[in-house]
Amino acid sequence: MNSSRTLFLGLLALLVFSFGLAAYLQPQYVVMPLSRADGDIFKITLGESRELFANEFYVKADAYYHSGFYPTIFDNNEAFKTAHVGEDTGAVSSKNHGEEASFMGPPRDWIDAFGRHFLPDRHTHLDSGGADDDLSGSDEVGEILPWLKLSTDLDPKNVQNYSVTAYWLQRMHQTNSAFRVLMDGLHHNPGSPDILFELGRLYAGSYQQTNRAVNVWRAAAHNWHPMSGTNDAVFANNFIYEKITTQLGQTERDEGHLQAAIDWFEKAKAVSRTPDAVQGLIDETKKEMSSSAPAAASSDP
Amino acid sequence: MRNIFAVAGVVIKELYRRKDFYVLFIVTVLICLVMASVNIYHDDKIVRYLKEICLLLVWISSLVIAITTTARQIPAERENRTLLPLLAKPLSRSQLVLGKFLGCWIACGLTLLCFYVFLGALAGSRDHHWPVLDYFQAATLHWFALGIVVALSLLGSLVFAAPSSNSTICFVVVAGILLLGRHLDQVALQLSEPMRGITLAIYYVIPHLEFFDMRDLVIHDWPLIAWKFYGLAILYALAYIGVFLAGACLAFRRKAVN
Amino acid sequence: MTTILKTEKLRVEYRSRETRHGVKVALNGLDLEVRAGEVFGFLGPNGAGKTTTMNVLLGFVPPTSGAASLFGIDVRQPIARQRIGYLPELTYYYKFLSAEELLRFYAKIFGIPRAEADRRIDELLKLVELEHARKRPIKSYSKGMQQRAGLAQALINNPDLLVLDEPTSGLDPVGRMKVREIIQRLKNEGKTVFFSSHELGEVETVCDRVAVIHEGELKALGRVDEIRKPHHTNLEQAFLEIIGFQPQVTP
Repeated sequence: MNSSRTLFLGLLALLVFSFGLAAYLQPQYVVMPLSRADGDIFKITLGESRELFANEFYVKADAYYHSGFYPTIFDNNEAFKTAHVGEDTGAVSSKNHGEEASFMGPPRDWIDAFGRHFLPDRHTHLDSGGADDDLSGSDEVGEILPWLKLSTDLDPKNVQNYSVTAYWLQRMHQTNSAFRVLMDGLHHNPGSPDILFELGRLYAGSYQQTNRAVNVWRAAAHNWHPMSGTNDAVFANNFIYEKITTQLGQTERDEGHLQAAIDWFEKAKAVSRTPDAVQGLIDETKKEMSSSAPAAASSDP
Repeated sequence: MRNIFAVAGVVIKELYRRKDFYVLFIVTVLICLVMASVNIYHDDKIVRYLKEICLLLVWISSLVIAITTTARQIPAERENRTLLPLLAKPLSRSQLVLGKFLGCWIACGLTLLCFYVFLGALAGSRDHHWPVLDYFQAATLHWFALGIVVALSLLGSLVFAAPSSNSTICFVVVAGILLLGRHLDQVALQLSEPMRGITLAIYYVIPHLEFFDMRDLVIHDWPLIAWKFYGLAILYALAYIGVFLAGACLAFRRKAVN
Repeated sequence: MTTILKTEKLRVEYRSRETRHGVKVALNGLDLEVRAGEVFGFLGPNGAGKTTTMNVLLGFVPPTSGAASLFGIDVRQPIARQRIGYLPELTYYYKFLSAEELLRFYAKIFGIPRAEADRRIDELLKLVELEHARKRPIKSYSKGMQQRAGLAQALINNPDLLVLDEPTSGLDPVGRMKVREIIQRLKNEGKTVFFSSHELGEVETVCDRVAVIHEGELKALGRVDEIRKPHHTNLEQAFLEIIGFQPQVTP
């Protein structure tokens, strides 16, 4: 037997041994405490910094929503503190104020003035295509999806990503994809009120299953827990509860269960930052209640 | 002019006989094709993210090719001792510098052509839309930006001792200009003197390469830039190219070649 | 006879930390004249100033003072090099080019028309025996082949003056013979050859006149027999006596 054949057979034997050893050790490795065998490639490669990347890609989605007309860290971004791609879903509390079309301000010098000719120069939203805002004539808003997907994959604990993604998929009539996104979100964030709220909207709007929607919204309300303090997380938490209870109130009102509607509106008012607006809903419902009560009384034998 | 074109021809031959361009092109194509094969909620009309990734890779690759090719031109001639037989011909040093610039710049142009044709094919296969004029504006402005970078790198090769240090400095400077150049005046306002004055001076002196970066306009299908401003940008590029080349010719005249 | 190459009080100084004044004088008032049609040997020990003289003549280094001209044109003008061919001691050319491409490149610089360039390239590649390798990149050539390619590029413009820096250095006897044949052929055609060499036997055979330079100064200039005569010996011994070499060991 010559030396090259011996070497080859030796290497082959080593390879077989290595595979065998790996197969023998794998089950023990999986059950080891603190092992990284859960297979999440992003968690393994990026660690906690994936949240930073997730946030960056979420902002990227908003930049795409604006076709690139977006402030940098040097510009006035008061009107972009909350991404419009989330704000426009109606399910994210907004911190925006200021003029969104003029964040760059007037040109500072000739270099700045000349440079603006090579940049996007108008404030637009990608969903402004198609008749009646139904996106049937424009599928450009789909361009935000890759960045939302990446953001979701990188930070599965960020429930807002799922609800925003599902909202836009619904708007694009991709109901099944929206449903799968929300199910994925619930898998990573069981019982999340934000995701359940969006799921309810999906049932009510796309699937036309109002009863199911109401059940889901009630589950969302049941799973909501108040937080103390005055920071952004508390406001966001209160905002979603307000949306859930307001939605339940509207649904009960549409079904003719006016007292139940008022009860839900009262809960919304307790956490709302605009209690007067909610009070207006309560007053309207009470008026409706009182106008239907005399009619009921007159129809009594 | 004949001598300049002769030297340029040799530089172009060198580029397509080296592996740099092919490696970068293949890597760009592979990454873009992998990205294109990703399933984004079964929507195969989504194209802007592809254009962004492709254009980012094109810009990075073109800058790598421009800077590394140019940075080694004259130092390699000196190191390989091909400079002496060349200068022993009826060729002035300025003609050599201009020939090297032209060769590197045309070589960059040819690589850009390949990259942008690929971009057009990739994007067009998705959205069935070929905005030829947009790509033309983007590619030509990109080419003129590379002209500035090549001229800068050529000047650097005559000022700095080693091609590696020249390349590093050029990369840092170009990346800095592209990322921060537009905002240096705002940064200056937040500093105290004398840093404010220095930063403002840098802001006015540097070539503003962001004028030539049309990526956002191409990605998001914005209308063409007005041809007047396109022309002014080209004149701006030619002015900086002239200044850097004049500096390079002056520096080379005083340099020992043996 | 026409003067092809001329230097007048040529002085070249370099900055040097080794000397007391921080300046090293490489050439000190060199006066030299080479006439048309002659084969001129430029001799001197290492560090004498031969390469510095060639660098000035080829425009690589500006003189500190004095003048140098080729065909009556100041060497600082690129056009002065239109009618010369130069073969450096160490022959390195663009490794990614073939011999044919290299010659075509240089022919373009000389402004030789395409058809004429093609004819000369064929002729020269045959002369230096590189026809079989004309399309191969130079990086695949042996050292001898690279030197022959160098000789071909020095002759591409059919030069009236050929400047050779140690042309037979590193060549085998066959190669050295070929170089001598080429020098002789050029002389027969009325060309002028200016070369530096340490092979004094060769210089004795081919040169019409020689100059001996030492420590930047011209020590002797004239025909070979004129140089030898006062010392009653061969050129090598005469050379050693001119530069003041004292042998350590008496034979």
